[in-house]
Amino acid sequence: MIVECRINDLLSLIGEKLTLEQLEESLFLLKAEVERIEGNVVEIEVNPDRQDMLSTEGIARAVRSFLDIEPGLKKYNVKKSGKQIIVQPGLNKIRPFICCSILKGVRADDELIKEYMHLQEALTSTHGRNRKKASIGLYVYDELEFPIIYGTEKPEKIRFVPLGYEAEMDGPGILAHHEKGVEFGAIIEAHKRWPLLYDSKGQVLSLPPIINSNDLGRITTETKNLFVEVTGTHLLTVQQALNIITASLAERGAQIESVTITYPDDTVEETPDFSPEQMTISIEDVNKLLGLDLDGDRITRALERMGYGARLAKGEKVRVQIPKYRMDILHPVDIMEDIAIGFGFDKIQPAMPQTMTTGSVNPVTRLKNKVRDLMVGMKYLEVMNYIMTSTEVLNERMGRSRPVVTTSNPKSRSYSVLRNSLLPVLLDFASKNEHADYPQRIFEVGDIIIPDESKETCVDQLPSVCGLVTDAKVNVTSLMTEIGFLLRNLGLDNQFEFEASACSDFIQGRSASIKVRGRLSGFFGEISPEILNNFGLGYPVVAFELFLPSSLNGT
Amino acid sequence: MSEQLTTGEKTILKGLVELRRKSSADEIAKITEQNTERVISILNALAVRGIVKLETREKISYALTDEGKEYARDGLPEIRLVKALEESGRTAPFEVVLTKSGISPRTKGIAMAWAVRNEWAHASKQGDTTILSTIGDYSKSPVAAALESIAKGNGASIQNDDPALQQLLERKLVSEVITKIIEAELSRNYLVHAEDILADLTEDIGNLTPEMLSSGAWKGRKFRPYNVGIQPEYVNYGKKHPYAEFNDWLREIMVGLGFTEWFGPYVETEFWGHDALFVPQDHVARDVQDQFRVAAPYDHGHIIDKKYYEAVKNVHENGGGTGSKGWDWPYHKEVATRLCLRPHTTPVSMRFLYQHRESPQKMFIVDRNFRSESLSVTHAHEFDQCEGIIMDKGLTLRNLLGYLTAICKAVGIEKLKFKPGQFPFTEPSVETFGKHDKLGWIELGGSGIFRPEVTQPLGIRDSVLAWGIGAGRLYMAAMGINDIRDLFSQDLNWLRRSYFVR
Repeated sequence: MIVECRINDLLSLIGEKLTLEQLEESLFLLKAEVERIEGNVVEIEVNPDRQDMLSTEGIARAVRSFLDIEPGLKKYNVKKSGKQIIVQPGLNKIRPFICCSILKGVRADDELIKEYMHLQEALTSTHGRNRKKASIGLYVYDELEFPIIYGTEKPEKIRFVPLGYEAEMDGPGILAHHEKGVEFGAIIEAHKRWPLLYDSKGQVLSLPPIINSNDLGRITTETKNLFVEVTGTHLLTVQQALNIITASLAERGAQIESVTITYPDDTVEETPDFSPEQMTISIEDVNKLLGLDLDGDRITRALERMGYGARLAKGEKVRVQIPKYRMDILHPVDIMEDIAIGFGFDKIQPAMPQTMTTGSVNPVTRLKNKVRDLMVGMKYLEVMNYIMTSTEVLNERMGRSRPVVTTSNPKSRSYSVLRNSLLPVLLDFASKNEHADYPQRIFEVGDIIIPDESKETCVDQLPSVCGLVTDAKVNVTSLMTEIGFLLRNLGLDNQFEFEASACSDFIQGRSASIKVRGRLSGFFGEISPEILNNFGLGYPVVAFELFLPSSLNGT
Repeated sequence: MSEQLTTGEKTILKGLVELRRKSSADEIAKITEQNTERVISILNALAVRGIVKLETREKISYALTDEGKEYARDGLPEIRLVKALEESGRTAPFEVVLTKSGISPRTKGIAMAWAVRNEWAHASKQGDTTILSTIGDYSKSPVAAALESIAKGNGASIQNDDPALQQLLERKLVSEVITKIIEAELSRNYLVHAEDILADLTEDIGNLTPEMLSSGAWKGRKFRPYNVGIQPEYVNYGKKHPYAEFNDWLREIMVGLGFTEWFGPYVETEFWGHDALFVPQDHVARDVQDQFRVAAPYDHGHIIDKKYYEAVKNVHENGGGTGSKGWDWPYHKEVATRLCLRPHTTPVSMRFLYQHRESPQKMFIVDRNFRSESLSVTHAHEFDQCEGIIMDKGLTLRNLLGYLTAICKAVGIEKLKFKPGQFPFTEPSVETFGKHDKLGWIELGGSGIFRPEVTQPLGIRDSVLAWGIGAGRLYMAAMGINDIRDLFSQDLNWLRRSYFVR
């Protein structure tokens, strides 16, 4: 994910003189990457696990601790505001959770407002799973009359002016016409009642997770105090989103105040909650995973450079305090990786392990290679095609109707299904080379994919070879000689037979199936003129296709 | 020699071979002692069969006109005039000199005019009489020389812009004659047979035959030499695809490093594709914008091992006793059995681990993957990945970097930079950048140590190092290819010219 920062703003938040090279180097070691610098704007790519770095403030915070300017756990002072949020019944199956915070003394110039919006969008699209799990709203605090009610309402009874509009709209109208309604409407559309956030004067704050009110949810340069709410379907995600955005705003000097949320079952929660989570890790485990020999002090220092609180504990352990804006810490290994990053990836020396194993190619590869060598020996040129193709090539032009694995979301019809045979693919190849010198002798060794319900993934994947010859004059007899040479050199002398067949791919009387030990293993012949026409081929073609089950190897 | 040639054709070809260059029909006629018309007719027959290449060009030569012939015989009138003047004591009346020179009165004007223009003589009036006197040397007249050489048949040596020639043309003493010259040379494909042609026609041995060997008839005779200095012709024999050869080379390297090759299906269940890799079921990588879903004829596959399925389910929902929090989110069988085209080769690593749970193990795969992309210069819906895992007791992050260094060195990239990365199934995760001669720092691929949430459901407690390199990207860098579509080019001419050399 790309975060756009103003360089002077970022450097002033970092608060220490850095050259752009030093900044780039620090970010690189912190998992982020400078993508582009243009004028005063730097584009920084942030990995999706570091949602807390999706803002200029978050990046500055990470760099500050990494460069030992402000290491250790960042403390956010939270004052109780005493303000109430009341959650009404009926939201359990729709969007049960809400967490809120108040920020006083927010700096808001035009650039900053734009950046807050970006952070909000970025957080809700990835972490919030396109607003399904969590969505964020910012409001002008001073316009609100607390307590705020989080409840439900019938869609047609919902009426307010949505952000960016001047006229009032009702719920169904917003979903049908407002761009955000069209984009995210599916999240609530099926419910009889929709979630609604309104204040004690009855003013609507927003229709979560679709859109804010234009009156209360429009932040301007005049706005000094903010009310932030996050609603969603997953409590942890909602809390984390609130923590990330609240902490980001506080980085610019705003004072955080908490609110009290009362659920219908009388559960009460005070949000935001920045008291860190704890995890204990053993020094031995750290060194075992990283291959380093770090003592407790160095581990603690590395953790502090990554913004953790850390202190040595009894029994060669380290007690770690995890900042509340981090949402990617599921397991001690996540902390251990941060120790490696805090220690410095550039300081870790590669070491070759002594793991002793013997290598080998797969028997199927060996069989494929053998067939490729034999084909080259018969003066065929190897070609490689995509596995994906179209039903037009596989079935329509071939006059076939064989089952084919079909994708639901192709970007183009030409690559929408998996090939179930190589012959059509090579005919397609030949049709694109009418201008090249003749004779043309081409082959491909590759897998074909045949639907088969009995298999785990409902397909059978078969290695195959297809050889194709086209020239002003072609000859089935010499093709037969070549197939014979191929099969005999696979150790199948006296184990194969050709049996005249009436396959519609070929001219009647010029085609046969190939049977290996009595099993149908392929076919050959001279391609019928209709099919040549369908492919737009002007020269006659003989071709064969042979399946290469691994049982052919080593016989 | 594949062509049947008549004696006449052989004779002409022999002449052509002996001349060893592009030669005119006249030259061939001369060396073969044939007449030119016959040579031309035989050359035409050979050209039709592609044995010789003919080229017709126009040649300009010069012939004397009647007046020119007269002057060539008697000398140019102006020269005769000045000569007579000299013999008359260098200054004399015009009429006297004219009579002495013996030139016809018809040409007296011409003689006088050119003698003056060439500044050989000066004319002045004394009353009614014209007096001539010599002032220059006439003996080195280029015009006379040109006339003489054309008369002798050496006109070819004169440049067409020679002023002397121009004067001769202007004075209509010579005229242009345009003749067509037919020139022949052996066609490129036939050059290699040139020696055979000679062999057929000389006493020296061309083809050594079984009869000669058994009779000993070759003894004491000379072998006609071949012209072994020529460029061989271009042909289209069979060969392997350069990209396939590149992938073969990667396999060779992996086997050399002790890795065993493994395979897995292109059509995967999301269970293997994502769940087993601890990718949350609502992760964006599973979206239709990112990976291909299979719609028909079957859109869901089967779970083959209920016990493993349950273990994976638990890890997702609550960490499953691995020390992880899990995703704290309901896990659905409907998603697990959904069919997709595998978006990476990592499910193959999981299938390998499923069957090989005891250390040590090293496995690799070089094969195709699919992403829902539109085909363009930079993006393709199919790409090959070279991926491997190493499982052993006590393997560490430093070992991972060690292996990456060894693998990259083996493919010719010496200078590396490691950056912490992020993949849902590894922790720590590493991105590797390599210094390429021409392209600078390029991203080579991702790697990491499998998370406990990935290995522990299989009962694996040892570290598993995993890494992947974009085979196609590496090949493009090695071959200087900029358009990703060239990996699977359908241009036969391009393929016939392309090769992979290491």
